[in-house]
Amino acid sequence: MFFHIVLERNMQLHPRFFGQNLRENLVSNLVKDVEGTNSGRHGFVLAVTGIESIGKGLIRDGTCFVTFPVKYRCVVSKPFKGEVLEAVVTKVMQHGFFAEAGPLQLFVSNHEMEDCMEYQAGDMPNYTSSDGSVRIQKECEVLLKITAVSVVASEIFCLGSIKGEFLGLLNVRA
Amino acid sequence: MAHHHSESDDEDYSYDDDSESEQEEEEEEEPRSSRKKRGRSNPDHSVGSARGKKRKPSGSIFIEDDVIVDDDEVEDEDDVEDGFIEHGEADLGDEDVVGRRHRPFHEPAAFRSRVGAEEYLDFMQEKYSNPRAEYDDEDDYEDGEPTHVDQQALLPSVRDPKLWMVKCAIGREREVAVCLMQKAVDRGSDFKIRSVIALDHLQNFIYIEADMEAHVKEAIKGMRNIFANHKILLVPIREMADVLSVKSKTVELARDTWVRMKLGIYKGDLAQVVDVDDVRRRVTVKLIPRIDLQLLADKQEGSVIVKKKSFVPPPRFMNVDEARELHIRVERRRDRMTGDYFENIGGLLFKDGFLYKKVSTKSISTQNVTPTFDELERFKKSNENGEIDFVDMSTLFANRKKGHFMKGDEVIVVKGDLKNMKGWVEKVDEENVLIRSEMKGLNNPLAVNERELCKYFEPGNHVKVVSGTHKEATGMVVKVDQHVLFILTDTTKQHIRVFADHVVKSAEVTNGVTKMGEYELHDLVLLSNLSFGVIIKLDSEAIQVLKGIPGRTELAIVKHGEIKYKIDKRINVKDRNKNVITVKDVVRVTEGPSKGKQGPVMHIYKGVLFLHDRHNVEHAGFVCVKCSSCVLSGGSYSGADRIVDSFSRLGNSKSPAPVPPSPRRFQRADSGYNSGAGGRHWSGRGGGRGGHDLLVGAYVKVRLGPFKGYRGRIVEVKEKTVRLEHEAKIVTGKLNLPLHTHLVAAC
Repeated sequence: MFFHIVLERNMQLHPRFFGQNLRENLVSNLVKDVEGTNSGRHGFVLAVTGIESIGKGLIRDGTCFVTFPVKYRCVVSKPFKGEVLEAVVTKVMQHGFFAEAGPLQLFVSNHEMEDCMEYQAGDMPNYTSSDGSVRIQKECEVLLKITAVSVVASEIFCLGSIKGEFLGLLNVRA
Repeated sequence: MAHHHSESDDEDYSYDDDSESEQEEEEEEEPRSSRKKRGRSNPDHSVGSARGKKRKPSGSIFIEDDVIVDDDEVEDEDDVEDGFIEHGEADLGDEDVVGRRHRPFHEPAAFRSRVGAEEYLDFMQEKYSNPRAEYDDEDDYEDGEPTHVDQQALLPSVRDPKLWMVKCAIGREREVAVCLMQKAVDRGSDFKIRSVIALDHLQNFIYIEADMEAHVKEAIKGMRNIFANHKILLVPIREMADVLSVKSKTVELARDTWVRMKLGIYKGDLAQVVDVDDVRRRVTVKLIPRIDLQLLADKQEGSVIVKKKSFVPPPRFMNVDEARELHIRVERRRDRMTGDYFENIGGLLFKDGFLYKKVSTKSISTQNVTPTFDELERFKKSNENGEIDFVDMSTLFANRKKGHFMKGDEVIVVKGDLKNMKGWVEKVDEENVLIRSEMKGLNNPLAVNERELCKYFEPGNHVKVVSGTHKEATGMVVKVDQHVLFILTDTTKQHIRVFADHVVKSAEVTNGVTKMGEYELHDLVLLSNLSFGVIIKLDSEAIQVLKGIPGRTELAIVKHGEIKYKIDKRINVKDRNKNVITVKDVVRVTEGPSKGKQGPVMHIYKGVLFLHDRHNVEHAGFVCVKCSSCVLSGGSYSGADRIVDSFSRLGNSKSPAPVPPSPRRFQRADSGYNSGAGGRHWSGRGGGRGGHDLLVGAYVKVRLGPFKGYRGRIVEVKEKTVRLEHEAKIVTGKLNLPLHTHLVAAC
């Protein structure tokens, strides 16, 4: 799920960048630092949309760096248990398949699939239903439900399930 | 005077002579009290007696005022004693008994006869009315607990019944004991023997307690299992206590316990206890048979000479039809005890494919029997019903080392009335575990036996395996199947099956050891034979290294000592399109077996790149390629790629580019993020790509030329020259980019 929230961060800046471009430097640093990262609490920070405020800079003892507390608005994405998302299958293995929904990695184990789905090894390993109508392989889009979210050392990993109504294969990505 | 006061007073000296006499008490209070105090402060003075009551007039010269002090102490003791006596009233009865028992030992026989009965009684009463007084002196006497002395007093004497050792048939000791007991019940008062002892560790003999040998002989008359003609031995008094000394732990055997065979062809095999016969110390166990049908058939025909079995047949379920085909006689028998039908083949009983065997308790081991999954599966398979009962599984843990529950663990009750109730562990005791549940109406905390509990996990929990084959693996629970958990390991993304017992909830993410000595996981190292590679797995014994041979994946398993050192060079190489690649750049492989893989470069050495492809599950995601067979993709870790990879913290190492892209985006917020992405492309160090303005402000080190080694910040960039602001002075050098510059991370 996406949120647009205000976060705060202490940015360090070297005095060489002081001058008329101080603010721009600070902001660019922030963007480079924060975009693309994820924190366990807020999820993936996708983009910084604006700066709310920049506080007064404090010179750190011992080094010449100055610390500015910056408040910024950003779009974050955090997965929740019970959420239904679309994901793209990246790897099919014997005990399940891995999928990606943007920056989020998910795993769907074969216990969480309909009983009729069977693993078929081969050049293009896939999961096929017993009547052959549904085939899940790499690069397929699936609709899955998140059953568990685990945040381990700021790495978010989710378990998903396609056992349920309306879940499963969407269409094959061309 | 022999004694010295540390603070001597003339006044006191005058008293000293008198002090020793028994008239001390009549002296004045004051000096006495002061002396008392001094006495207390000089404890090193030798005191003639410990008890104030006993004053030795003979050694009075050396007795100090301390004696007075002792009086007080003694008074206190009296009070305490009185207190004791009150408490002890309840126990007086026992003490009396104890006293009574001691009497025969303390009093000489002559004394009793000499003194009249009444006098004797008085004497006894006086002596034993205050039992505590006697024992005050003894060390470590506590309420109720018998001392060593007491126990010694309880040892048998000549008056007590004796122990006689009787020979009986091997393996029938218990049976004999039970029979004698039955006989005693039947005969009643006629039976003169007191007791029978049958020891586990002593075969062939039993002990009979009786006053005379004749009693023993009469008692064993007619007993089939006793060898009456064998001499009956008398156990010396001193050794009588040793007969009953307990040495080993009792082995608990219950039905459905898992055990392992110790002897025979089934040695080491897992077995399940079906029936326990305590009297004969035998158990009936259920095994997967290892039968060589061919041999059996031949044996029955009598054509084959039975030779020593040199090979053990593999375990296989017995198929009765197969046996019949080979013309082996199969009898169908009905067991009296259980009422089940058994197939009897060659003297062995079979049912449902299992072999039911009667073995002695000695030949099975019950401690620490941990069945592996495979073994359990095999047992399961033969059951037509399918799953092994939950209860069965829990017996697995009955024999394990206790104490695998920790405070805070989530548990579920698996046996008893509270089955299926969830709770949290509050406290772990010897046998019981206190759990707190959310159910209303129950006392919190609840005491539950350890055996009735099982750890509970939900899919999605992050756990760590602490024992077993997958020790030290961490991962996420994918599925819970009663006692068995399926876990997806973090690092290798593999499915493993473990017992719930072996895991604890944890937030750690490791593959076990990540650092061994100085080498960390994912380090580039040089091996002893001059080859190099990246460490992809660290073990306690060996280290797995992905060798730096592009084109084919070669794994080497080396020992710690074979690694020479860690390679930590910062080198630049050029890719296919002559773009400079450094560590952390994202590249894509365009040829070779790893074609199509993409990822950030982790190490560069001798023209070989090691990149980490997240999608690659094997070799921890590392791929080894030649630098000429890949292209730099999408700038270096630019925003688009960065989002995907979590361990890119790239840009920090570079000094900020002078023109940040974001402000652009702010102005055109509605134009979407695509332009932003495009604009962001050149925010990193393109190293040849993108504008030259990029380099302004970059901290570089000069590689060639007269200014080699100089470090500085680029101030101005012209077509072919670059102006460097060196720490000391401004240098303008004709620096051909990018050949001459070596980009170094800013401090």
